[in-house]
Amino acid sequence: MTSATLYIDRDAGLQRLHPLTKLVISLFLIVLALVIPNMWAGYIVFLLGVVPLALWGGILQPLWSALWKIVLPFAISMFVIQGLFWTGGTPVVELGPLSFKAEGLVFATTITGRLLAIMGSFLLLSLGTPPDDLMISLEERGVPNSVTYIVLSTMQLVPGLQVRAGKIRDAQRARGLETEGSILQRMRSMMPLVEPLVLGSIIDVDERAIALEARGFSREASKSFYRPVPDRRWEQILRWMLFIASILLIVLRIFWPLINRYYLGAG
Amino acid sequence: MDQLRKDFSTVTIALIVVALAINIVVGTIIFQLKVPFVYLDSIGTILVGLLAGPWAGLVTGILSNLLWGLLGNPGYVPYAPVAGVIGLMAGIFGSMGWFKSWWKWLLAGLITGLVAALLSAPITAYVYGGVTGAGTDLIVGMFRATGSSIMEAALGQGLITDLIDKTFSFFVVWLIVKALPTTLLTRFSRSQNVLEMGDVDLENILDQ
Repeated sequence: MTSATLYIDRDAGLQRLHPLTKLVISLFLIVLALVIPNMWAGYIVFLLGVVPLALWGGILQPLWSALWKIVLPFAISMFVIQGLFWTGGTPVVELGPLSFKAEGLVFATTITGRLLAIMGSFLLLSLGTPPDDLMISLEERGVPNSVTYIVLSTMQLVPGLQVRAGKIRDAQRARGLETEGSILQRMRSMMPLVEPLVLGSIIDVDERAIALEARGFSREASKSFYRPVPDRRWEQILRWMLFIASILLIVLRIFWPLINRYYLGAG
Repeated sequence: MDQLRKDFSTVTIALIVVALAINIVVGTIIFQLKVPFVYLDSIGTILVGLLAGPWAGLVTGILSNLLWGLLGNPGYVPYAPVAGVIGLMAGIFGSMGWFKSWWKWLLAGLITGLVAALLSAPITAYVYGGVTGAGTDLIVGMFRATGSSIMEAALGQGLITDLIDKTFSFFVVWLIVKALPTTLLTRFSRSQNVLEMGDVDLENILDQ
């Protein structure tokens, strides 16, 4: 059955890691990028954390091609807007009546780096982890099985619904609906595209519920797993260490001004 | 507790699945149409809040943005709490009976948009440096050029887009629910939010 997933199935080290290990690593990298008070923090986390892990899983190329498309629009907007319009900044590059301000450029550089690290870590998780394994291992740790069902069957439903959306669009265009052209035309075409799709799929809800009931979905007995997810001792230890390190980093970051003042004697 | 169990019945679970897929697919359609100020990526969430209560709405909103993340749009993940609150508020307004009159329901959309903008602004400012990476950045630029702080500019942009998008989303949900057959609506735990007592003998149907 087709499912909307980004997972790239390779027999590589990253893919063999337990899903929760990858989840914790991703969260740890995000925390690192957010707490280190340096404009290059994000770039360092990306280059020394995300890139080697992506190489290990043989997914650097797809990760990068997805990542730059996400980060580039933000980066352009930030450099233009925050660079040009930083209130009361120091001008560094004059452009006629406008000028790029040093403070704005530092800000845009910092946030772009952070975005590379944060979005890269998310992509590392979604490209390197089969969603069913991720959900099963979360369920083994107490996430309700209905959440697993919801996430996984939505991923299966999306491709089918996209096909249906394409058919509706073709049918409406055959009747003369304009889906391109002026803003007004495109606004008018919204409802004819959306309404049949939404109505048609909600009508299916009842059937879906009956199918679930017939298979004892709401029964509260404990369920077994068709697909066990192997876990290793060293990964469990690694997860706990990264988890504790993340908490410590966050606490340290919050209390850093106090520590700086009272223990290191700075301003 | 009993109401909560009813709110997360099998029918609700099935509804949430369809609602999440609707969020993603309709969100993509609107994105491709390039209509300004409209995203329509939360009509599924609003629908669940209205038909299955605020808690189901909250769960749907949060899951919706996490799923976008798993499907290649990690940019949505930081806004997961906002999406949850949208579902929660749709549920609360539904329980207050605001769906019963069209202007109250549009007002509910407006208020939800306001709250969404207030909650999104700090996330936009902190994670994304105050920009959206889209056409609405013209508004951000305008606010910054006239001396607003990053937070104020993010809020200004958010107010304009969220007020329009959420009011329109609530309107679309209104159209959809009005077009659904009563027999289907009675299957949902909060069907009293959308059905007039005259429509159908509710208790009678629920007992069957």
